[in-house]
Amino acid sequence: MRAHNRLLLAAGCLIGLPRVATATDLAGSAHVAVRDLWAIIHQMRGDQGDPRPVQTPAAHPQAIAPAPAGGPSIDLSDLSQPTAIEAQLTPISRMPEGRVRLTVPGGQARMGDYSVGSDQTVTGHLLVLRGNADIYGRVQGNLVAMDGNVTVHPGAVIAGDVLAIHGTVRDQGGEIGGESRTLAAAPAPAATESPLVLTLRRIAGFVGVLVTLGVLGLGLVAFGRHNLIIVSDTVSHSFGRAFITGLLGQILLLPTFGMLVVGLVLSVAGILLLPFAIVAYVLLAVVAVVGGYLAVAHALGETVTRRRLAQGSLVASPNSYRYLVTGLGATLALWAAWAVFGWVPVAGDIIRGAAILVTWLLGTAGFGAALLSRAGLRESFAGRMIPPEALTDEYLWATPQFGVPAIRRPGPTRSPIGGP
Amino acid sequence: MTRYAGVLALALVAGAGALPAQTLRDFSTARQLHGETRLTAHVTYGAGTLHLAPAASGDLYRMRLSYDADRYIPLGAFDASSGTVRLGVKGTGGSGLRVVSTSHMEQSATIGFSPDVALALDVELGAAESTLELGGLHLSELHLTTGGSRTTVRFSRPNPGRCDQALVSTGAADITVLNFGNSRCRRARFEGGVGRVLLDLSGAWPADASLDLRMAVGALTLRLPRSAGVRVTVSGFLSSFPAAGWTRRGSVYTSPGYAAAARHLNITLATAMGGVTIEWVE
Repeated sequence: MRAHNRLLLAAGCLIGLPRVATATDLAGSAHVAVRDLWAIIHQMRGDQGDPRPVQTPAAHPQAIAPAPAGGPSIDLSDLSQPTAIEAQLTPISRMPEGRVRLTVPGGQARMGDYSVGSDQTVTGHLLVLRGNADIYGRVQGNLVAMDGNVTVHPGAVIAGDVLAIHGTVRDQGGEIGGESRTLAAAPAPAATESPLVLTLRRIAGFVGVLVTLGVLGLGLVAFGRHNLIIVSDTVSHSFGRAFITGLLGQILLLPTFGMLVVGLVLSVAGILLLPFAIVAYVLLAVVAVVGGYLAVAHALGETVTRRRLAQGSLVASPNSYRYLVTGLGATLALWAAWAVFGWVPVAGDIIRGAAILVTWLLGTAGFGAALLSRAGLRESFAGRMIPPEALTDEYLWATPQFGVPAIRRPGPTRSPIGGP
Repeated sequence: MTRYAGVLALALVAGAGALPAQTLRDFSTARQLHGETRLTAHVTYGAGTLHLAPAASGDLYRMRLSYDADRYIPLGAFDASSGTVRLGVKGTGGSGLRVVSTSHMEQSATIGFSPDVALALDVELGAAESTLELGGLHLSELHLTTGGSRTTVRFSRPNPGRCDQALVSTGAADITVLNFGNSRCRRARFEGGVGRVLLDLSGAWPADASLDLRMAVGALTLRLPRSAGVRVTVSGFLSSFPAAGWTRRGSVYTSPGYAAAARHLNITLATAMGGVTIEWVE
């Protein structure tokens, strides 16, 4: 790898990692990226993944030794804030079994499954981490189980409250003097979506829309080129008028539809036509909007291509297909930017807003042009001052900057002072 | 250069943190019945759907909740000395209730109270869709406050005890109260803000009752039992009362057979702007 290549890669990594880029961070980012890629692959394969929340595995039953002075401690005398207790216990519960040290004032802590026999009494509070608590005897304080269930068997007595964090309380006939609470685990990380997954999904959506519009546009060019060109020319030559018409058309779309329905209902025979009329009206509206948008893309592509030709660029096949593809790329550029950078706070929303606005503007103008030109049947607003048969494609070819050199007319050579 | 731009964009994307999303968590709280005779319950519920009904025997109360952990904290605290329980959710952002989008409505709660204890119930609802089935509960007092919610309060079965009073206060809300006679409340007061109120006064009234109805702007529908004698004292501004079939004396309207009726409902109706509709039921 050459030096400037390495420099660029390092810059990319530094921008990507806003914190101080330590080896651990880099490894973490790589891990997240790989995990995201696997998530995408699983989504594409239709795998649902494991719906269960991530939980700590059960531990070997053992007592937890009290922590030394200043070490971790948890007060179980008040269980009315289970989320606060969960926040305190979560890091302790995730520690390796042998390293856990925890003080429970006025009580004891256990790791793994724990059972209180029918002839046993636990004085004070009881905490069970990463295991189930089965109570047959007496607990004279509060009972908390983290990552496990509490089962209160017949004859069991718990004087205080019971709290199962990431588990359930099963009362099978015992007596619970206080409240029994359960706090389920937070949903699996699938609830959150990383920017990479989001971006790739949006890019896929963008490509889907681009391909769909492209196929529709190419079909329109192949089978309705004349109409498309007239609508496109209407946009080019009467943009303002087309936009105003499109705006009015949007406003009047629903009232017109209502009038159509009412009119058909009032004329008794028209009721039979009502279902067909509704379908036809909706289809026409969709065709006008989509076709108009494609015509705008065509007009935009034509303008861009002409400018390039005028600048002397060599453009192969300057035809309607090229105009459409170029125009679609230009009109959807903002959406492409949103697909890639939409996850950026504020900027993503601004790009999205701009994309919506531009799409609406172009769609409105295209819809208006389709209405003005009667779907490409009327050339009044298309700027056709001379008949089409009089038009040539000479304008497509730029005149060389230093003029056209004169050439000899073929035929017999003539002398300026006299013929042969 | 295009390749480097791609590397840069990928690094930007990969380096950013995960986007936050709404996290619904399940929480439940319950307390066994240990010979209590009275319970005061405060239910606060900001957004979502709420179903409140009598609990299974053996429970003093029980709540199952699915709540938005990013914006709310579950409430479930019992004070044994005063016999008071607080249930529902409260916002993490401090006082008051806040609803930002309709996705917050996905919260749901089911709350049950024992029918064997005298229950003083205080319910405060925000942007919630609620069904309160209070039939069969030994209701001693009811205080219901709603914000921008849609609420149905139903008394399907008679109250086994006696209710001292009911106070229902609505904001910009729709509220339907059915079979209110089964509540057996001696006094009741309804304060409507903006919205629609349907008040069905049918049910097993144990004695004469007085109701105070105040509506600001909105539509009030009164469903009255034919068996009861009803007297309505009307005061209003830009509002109307359908007087057909009533005996009128000044601003007091009396239903036919008022004097001979076994039970009497004395209603004071004050409306600012809005319409009143009367429906008679058997």
